[in-house]
Amino acid sequence: MLFFSFFKTLTNQTVTIELKNDIRIRGTLKSVDQYLNIKLDDVDVLDLDKYPHLSSVKNMFIRGSVVRYVMLPRTEVDIGLLEDATRREAANQAGKAR
Amino acid sequence: MERLSLNENPAAGQQGNHQQGPQQQQQQQNNNMLGPMSQQQQHGPPQLPPQMFTTAAQLLDLTDKKLVLVLRDGRKLIGVLRSWDQFGMKYSTFDMEDGDRLTLFNFFLAANLVLQDTIERMYVGNLYADIPRGIFLVRGENVLLLGEIDLDKEDDIPTHLQRAPFQEVFELKQKEDAKRKTGDKKRHGKLQGLGFEAEHSGEILF
Amino acid sequence: MADSEDTGAAPSVSEPLDLVRLSLNEMVFVKLRGDRELKGRLHAYDSHCNLVLGEVEESIFVVEEDENEEETIRTIKKQEEMLFVRGDSVVLISPQA
Repeated sequence: MLFFSFFKTLTNQTVTIELKNDIRIRGTLKSVDQYLNIKLDDVDVLDLDKYPHLSSVKNMFIRGSVVRYVMLPRTEVDIGLLEDATRREAANQAGKAR
Repeated sequence: MERLSLNENPAAGQQGNHQQGPQQQQQQQNNNMLGPMSQQQQHGPPQLPPQMFTTAAQLLDLTDKKLVLVLRDGRKLIGVLRSWDQFGMKYSTFDMEDGDRLTLFNFFLAANLVLQDTIERMYVGNLYADIPRGIFLVRGENVLLLGEIDLDKEDDIPTHLQRAPFQEVFELKQKEDAKRKTGDKKRHGKLQGLGFEAEHSGEILF
Repeated sequence: MADSEDTGAAPSVSEPLDLVRLSLNEMVFVKLRGDRELKGRLHAYDSHCNLVLGEVEESIFVVEEDENEEETIRTIKKQEEMLFVRGDSVVLISPQA
């Protein structure tokens, strides 16, 4: 649940999502679920010439599994908090496995 | 993506005593806000967590809207979302350990969607063609991406694109796909020798 | 690197991802599907190998064919300040000297 929680802290931030077929979509992160499916508002598709079917789309749901990267605003990420949360999650996972 | 699910059916089962609550709330939500096909009984208090409201609003928002769907096989469908069913609904909410409640709009991606006045739009090079498809029922698991079309911009088709007869576009597209396939094979052959791995087995085409 | 105190877990390496934990806030090398490699500072990971990396350099390997039908590999490099990487693309994670 680490990344689900993490993305929730980034709602309403502008992110760029790169899909596994190289499409890059910039937009406002509106919502995320536990599968890391993502809803973006005010989307802007980079390289529209190559992907004309997305030209008049204003918001979209993206299936988590087609995401390759999400480029994040560095200033909005609390690195210390994130690393602590990661250690906690790792410890939890280890506890479960035992 | 199924690999990523921590809380699918089995997990939901483990959460036995939590399960009833969210489900009831889900039903409640359907009746109140969504439910084009909702005929379930109403139970339980209407205590929707804030996040649920926003998600429900988003779902509600998309009904009767013109959408573009990109499917797993690369097809692009454009149509008006008229209905969806409850498949996948059951597990749409979970009580989390931290007391948070989680809502899946995955519901959307897992449910069956009904589109009206659907067209399939095919692109190749700077040509495109529309194929009228009428009413379309799409199994949600095949949906990779779903976007709402801005009706003000709908007709702003990029200027470099030209409409062409379906047959012409279709044949060009077949050629292009075949060419890309052999190209991919070649490329991967070379890189595989150096220890690289292809990203997907031709699944994601859109 | 110390474990978080509130869990009381021993800072041991008993399973593969424990090794990744030791790389938190360190530079790592990540090999990805789709002919890509990343170098960056590891800030987060989970059991699916979802990652957050900072100060990232992405390398994309592309095969190109020249006039003599000779195949050469070109590398495209890109920089990102903060990047979430979906775990299903990850092939390996390696601590970087």
